[in-house]
Amino acid sequence: MTATIAEPVDVDVAPPLVRPGSRWIPLVRRPLFLIAAFYVVFVLASAFWPKLFTSYGPIDTDPGSVALAPSLDHLFGTDIYGRDLWTRVLYGSPLTIKATLIALGIAVVAGLALGIVSGFFGSITDSILMRFVDVLLAIPGLLLALSIVTALGYGTIPVAVAVGVGIVPGFARTTRAEVLRVKTLPYVEAARAGGASWTRVLLRHILPNSWGPVAVLAVLDAGVAIIAIASLSFLGFGAAPPAAEWGTLIADGRNYLVTSWWLSLLPGLFVALLVLSLNHISKTLQELTR
Amino acid sequence: MKITAPLAVAAAAVMALTACGSGDDASAGGSGNLKVSFWPDNPSFSCIDPFQVYWIEHRSIIRNFADSLTDQDPETGKIVPWLAQSWEISEDGKTYTFKLRDGVTFSNGKKLDAQAVADNAAGWIATVKATNGAAFGASYVQGLTGAKAVDPLTVQFQLSKPNSSFLQATSTTNLAITDPAEFQLSPADRCAGKGVVGSGLFVLDHYTPKVETVLTKRAGYAWGSELVQNKGEAKLDQVTFNYVAEDSVRTGNLISGATDIAWPRNPFTPQDTALIAKSGDKVEKRALPGVAYTLFANTAPGKPLADPAVRQALIKAIDLKTYASTIFGPDYPVVQGAFNSTTPYFKPESAKLAYDLPGAQKLLDEAGWTVGGNGFRAKAGTELKLEYPITQYSAGAELLQAQLKQAGINLELRTLTTAQQATYTTEGAYDLANTYFTRADPGALQFILNPDVANSKALAQRSASAAGVKQIQTLFAKALETTDEKQTGQAYADLQDYLIDEGVTIPLFERVQNAGVSDKVQGFAFTSESFLRLNDVTKG
Amino acid sequence: MARYVLGRIGQAVLVLWAAYTLTFAILYLLPSDPMELQLAAAGVQPDSLSAEQVAAIKHQFGLDQPIWLQYWHHLAGLLRGDFGTSLTQQVPVSQLLADRIGPTLLLSVSAATVALVLGSALAYLATFTRLTFLTRLPALGASFPQFFVALFLIQFFSFQLGWFPATGGLVMPVITIAVLASSVLAQVLIRSFEETLSQPYVTTARAKGLSRSAVHLRHAFRNAALPAMTILGVIVGLTVTSSIVVETVFTREGIGKLAQEAVLSQDVPVVLAVVTVAAAVFVLVNLVVDLLYPLLDPRISHTRPAAASVASVEGVAL
Repeated sequence: MTATIAEPVDVDVAPPLVRPGSRWIPLVRRPLFLIAAFYVVFVLASAFWPKLFTSYGPIDTDPGSVALAPSLDHLFGTDIYGRDLWTRVLYGSPLTIKATLIALGIAVVAGLALGIVSGFFGSITDSILMRFVDVLLAIPGLLLALSIVTALGYGTIPVAVAVGVGIVPGFARTTRAEVLRVKTLPYVEAARAGGASWTRVLLRHILPNSWGPVAVLAVLDAGVAIIAIASLSFLGFGAAPPAAEWGTLIADGRNYLVTSWWLSLLPGLFVALLVLSLNHISKTLQELTR
Repeated sequence: MKITAPLAVAAAAVMALTACGSGDDASAGGSGNLKVSFWPDNPSFSCIDPFQVYWIEHRSIIRNFADSLTDQDPETGKIVPWLAQSWEISEDGKTYTFKLRDGVTFSNGKKLDAQAVADNAAGWIATVKATNGAAFGASYVQGLTGAKAVDPLTVQFQLSKPNSSFLQATSTTNLAITDPAEFQLSPADRCAGKGVVGSGLFVLDHYTPKVETVLTKRAGYAWGSELVQNKGEAKLDQVTFNYVAEDSVRTGNLISGATDIAWPRNPFTPQDTALIAKSGDKVEKRALPGVAYTLFANTAPGKPLADPAVRQALIKAIDLKTYASTIFGPDYPVVQGAFNSTTPYFKPESAKLAYDLPGAQKLLDEAGWTVGGNGFRAKAGTELKLEYPITQYSAGAELLQAQLKQAGINLELRTLTTAQQATYTTEGAYDLANTYFTRADPGALQFILNPDVANSKALAQRSASAAGVKQIQTLFAKALETTDEKQTGQAYADLQDYLIDEGVTIPLFERVQNAGVSDKVQGFAFTSESFLRLNDVTKG
Repeated sequence: MARYVLGRIGQAVLVLWAAYTLTFAILYLLPSDPMELQLAAAGVQPDSLSAEQVAAIKHQFGLDQPIWLQYWHHLAGLLRGDFGTSLTQQVPVSQLLADRIGPTLLLSVSAATVALVLGSALAYLATFTRLTFLTRLPALGASFPQFFVALFLIQFFSFQLGWFPATGGLVMPVITIAVLASSVLAQVLIRSFEETLSQPYVTTARAKGLSRSAVHLRHAFRNAALPAMTILGVIVGLTVTSSIVVETVFTREGIGKLAQEAVLSQDVPVVLAVVTVAAAVFVLVNLVVDLLYPLLDPRISHTRPAAASVASVEGVAL
């Protein structure tokens, strides 16, 4: 489906330890970042309170106003059942966001666990776990996801699980690299030498210091997950109708590309903008932490 | 599409880089080469062997490379001579004697004589056995015990009991006559096209599952049925059938000239129909004979649809007219019963299928289903929820859902994996199921509703109460086990009344075969089963 | 050196075997019965068969054996180059692969080539001109779902302009994949460039009076391109994965479409074979890159764990 380069694996670049308040100030001076952040917030808000942004119902069919082009009444036009497409996109948000969060949750938890254990214990454990990650990487992601979805059945949660498993390797490797880096920092060595237990070192030093790059990767992978979820929905594995994830909406519209282009293209742009915004946010954060 | 302009410029630049060296050609073949685009090939059972195929697209292909004993007039449903010049049915309805046309050969030069036909009959029976009854042709040879060659041009089929559908069966692609040598091969090999040799006006060149099927002209063909003008050689050199997944791409290919005939499974959307008309091409349409697109209820005890009143309410709550016009366009025919209108013995039941929302609500109220806070009805704390599985064949399920919601019925759509589909009906969790069967004979419905012969016993048994199933079986027996056409007609009329009165079938839409035909193609024709007939087709 | 090479090859084989086994496990844990699938495909419900018939069919496909035995048979067959028989098409899987690998190979190689050219050009331009717009462009390319790009191309170039066929052509599928692959590549290259350009020796070269374009080309490009080489495996893997959606939309009869169909109909032998082949390609490319890398960049000693070279590229999701 897609691949993203998780850039935060900066084994040799140590982030300067900045005072908490000051690092956020430069963000305000970046208009693109603000727009991106605003868009993400808007999508989140519309997912929770769609009624604020539309007066139609997501499944109200109206055979009298079928396949209308976008207008002020219907921002994204209407679909072949006469449903307002803008409304359907907004009501599709919670499904997609839920799936994305589940996928990220799986990836972060599994990835952190793998990465920490691997980086922390090193040697044989490290080798075995990293080979396992290699295996996950070697199976074409979409095929792995398809198999998982076929095993679990159709729907939002199976799709989320499949996507989550697919992005575990990135998190595992990033975390491991961070752990390896932090482990050798002078003050960690000092703490160890001072008699602190490994658990304490892990909780007090390694986890907090690894968190930054992982969070940046999570934002970036949210975009990847959204595209992956959309692709699986596109292939027909998504939630049962009449609910519709974004990918399903795009897929449903593809039979009307020639006659009613907005059915596919507008939801597609909506998604692409979100992914782009997430990419931008992630990139900006990463630049700031450098 | 103004928004796309800047992107197009960028993409065009990219294309300039890649265009050189690739042999892309956006136009269809020359005038002797016809291109037909189907929807995707059968995902799980790829087959081109006449007797085993149920996939209707492939039956269209078979029609053009293998001939049958008889042909059926699409206008009247009458059976007319083809490979057989005449036939006789014995008084008891158990013996069919066919006089064959002289001089017919298979494309490999072998003679198509009485012995070849008799060997076909033996081959069909053996195939039914070898596939444990799975071969689709099994339903066409009910009661057939064998055949023998009386003389080189006379062949006699023997049935164990009368079967009034049998004569029509001999006109179908499933009982097309092929070189009997194919029956030496395994059913699987034959499905791949090995040994499949017919006497048709085209020769099966090759079948690559999911990719393409190619037919080439048969030199010296001279035995077209009386239903075609050109009884001799085809006017095309080659026909290529390919499989295109995206509906919009198939339609777009027709309009851009990359294909000559776009042949969708579900009818074109009104938008596509308008587009094809605008481009100067033509949409040909004919209702597929046989079972309409209808829902079958799960009437097992405890299920909401066990109550006949709820089934009637369901029928009243569906606005068939709006359904047809919204999904398929304003001039789309409205379904009139369990069968499509092109089925012989068809009896319209329109009055009983009229949209009557207040009537539906009244029936449900009386049955004790009262409207709750969320707009859906409930009885004794149980919501009136109907589970309806949908597949890629389903059209307009969401509109049905919206219509039923008006009556307070919660229609739950379930998307199933191919794996789940295999056992879903048997397990019986459904409330409404859909299946259909294309054949220009009402006997087709037997293979859905009569548990003795049905493809899915489970579906048949649950489709009506025990008494109902019995009544359906009786009516089918009356219609089939006779040679008296009047009795057949009466029994089928009674059956069609019964199916709607009892809510055994809940019709949704008429299945119409559409074909988008390029303006360069002349002489397009449908067979009586709404398959493609290429005898008179030319490409200008 | 020999020990390193042998070890690295051993690792690759191990990864391949594990990928195969993992896929087998997933497919065999599926809550379905291959026999029922087959019967359903042929239009019969299992409930219309007698118990003996069911047993006979199960025996015919070896489904009455315990799972570990089936696994062993599959694996042993694989080592002999026998992928088994397709459940739904009744032909040897190796024949299916042979029939369908051509289009995918052509697509993958073309897409990877175009992506390499486009990605490098974009990265070079972006870092040389220092236009923010250009540096951000790869992110844009990676933000559109591939099926969306494919549909857009079809709508515009096939239906509106009539330049390319919507099905059967090579140009549009290649572009669809290249949009994503070149974006990925450009992102890595740009980052690599930026790091190289901040190196002291670049500053030295500039101070010596070399022009900016000369420095850019002679020093930075060469040094930046090397790390990018490590993601060659990723790019190739990406083109293979992309073929699933792209071949479906453009109706190309390649491995990707075969895989998608096989997963949907749970044609286990076919899925296994495709995964094995795809994983083998991915593993092989990475192996070659890992083995060549120390030769091209003497600064890296071959005693360093191989994973480190790939470590700069992470999170290759679906």
